[in-house]
Amino acid sequence: MLRFWPILVLLLGGLFYWGMQRPNPNELKSVLVGKPAPSFSLPLLEPYRAQYGPEMGVRAGLGKPVLLNIWASWCIPCRTEAPLLERFHQQYRDQVLILGVNVQDSEAEALKFIQQYGLTFPSVYDGRGRIGIEYGYYGVPETFVIDRNGTVLARHAGELSEAQLRGYIEQVLR
Amino acid sequence: MGWLLLLALALAQPSPNTPPPDFSPEVFEIARELRCPVCQGESAAESNAGIAVEMRRIIAEQLAQGKSRAEIREFFVQRYGDWILYEPPARGLTLWVWLSPLVGLGLLGFGLWRYLAGVRARAQLTASDVSEEEIARLEAELQPRERQP
Repeated sequence: MLRFWPILVLLLGGLFYWGMQRPNPNELKSVLVGKPAPSFSLPLLEPYRAQYGPEMGVRAGLGKPVLLNIWASWCIPCRTEAPLLERFHQQYRDQVLILGVNVQDSEAEALKFIQQYGLTFPSVYDGRGRIGIEYGYYGVPETFVIDRNGTVLARHAGELSEAQLRGYIEQVLR
Repeated sequence: MGWLLLLALALAQPSPNTPPPDFSPEVFEIARELRCPVCQGESAAESNAGIAVEMRRIIAEQLAQGKSRAEIREFFVQRYGDWILYEPPARGLTLWVWLSPLVGLGLLGFGLWRYLAGVRARAQLTASDVSEEEIARLEAELQPRERQP
């Protein structure tokens, strides 16, 4: 048995290396990737009702790719992400719908957040975060990239960098 | 007397692990098998994070609709994958998680068997190594004393 020890050491080393290489659980792919995005319709937050109507959501026949961004006013990374999303909304508003879903939050706090960052992309209110669970979310912020046929292309957990956001938009417009 | 009263009061406190009265214990039993997605090492039954509370609410609603435990578990697996289950199903890569203790036991048994076989072989070898003369001398030593001159 003892003469096999180099093989055993190599096996254990290999197992250790494989364990270290495994992706972070936060980067686990969503089971929704490649599947139709769950459709929903939720009440829009007050500042957007005049332009978009009382409700908004993901549904068939939108004819536009959607970047579904799940956020909350108490979430710190959302504070750096919000101005970035706003800038891209200004740039791509005709080609891509950036739709915010405010979860696990109070409506008053959400409105304060929107005002503070001057967000013009629409956000719906999902106080209990049920749509988040429908999409299998892990936390905020989280972004789902949905193509114009309503298929989920990617899920991004955590804050988006400018390069990542640009990458997703290019992917979805291809 | 005061001590007794204190003891009685302490015993009268509800255990901190009993579920809050808003959902039935069955909700918590199902939630205990599911991970809380935003927590580290906490089930959806233990956590008070908003998402875990909502998961318990969904479980309660689906139980009220007459859905079975397996159907409720499947609801979460469809949205989060097997990751959401505390006990991974015995298939695919996770099959190894279930089999590894057996493999470990098998290897241990094999090692022990090899070791004992070695010990036995060595014992037999030493026994057969003793020369005839040595055995005769040993037997002589073991003879009762009175026979000796």
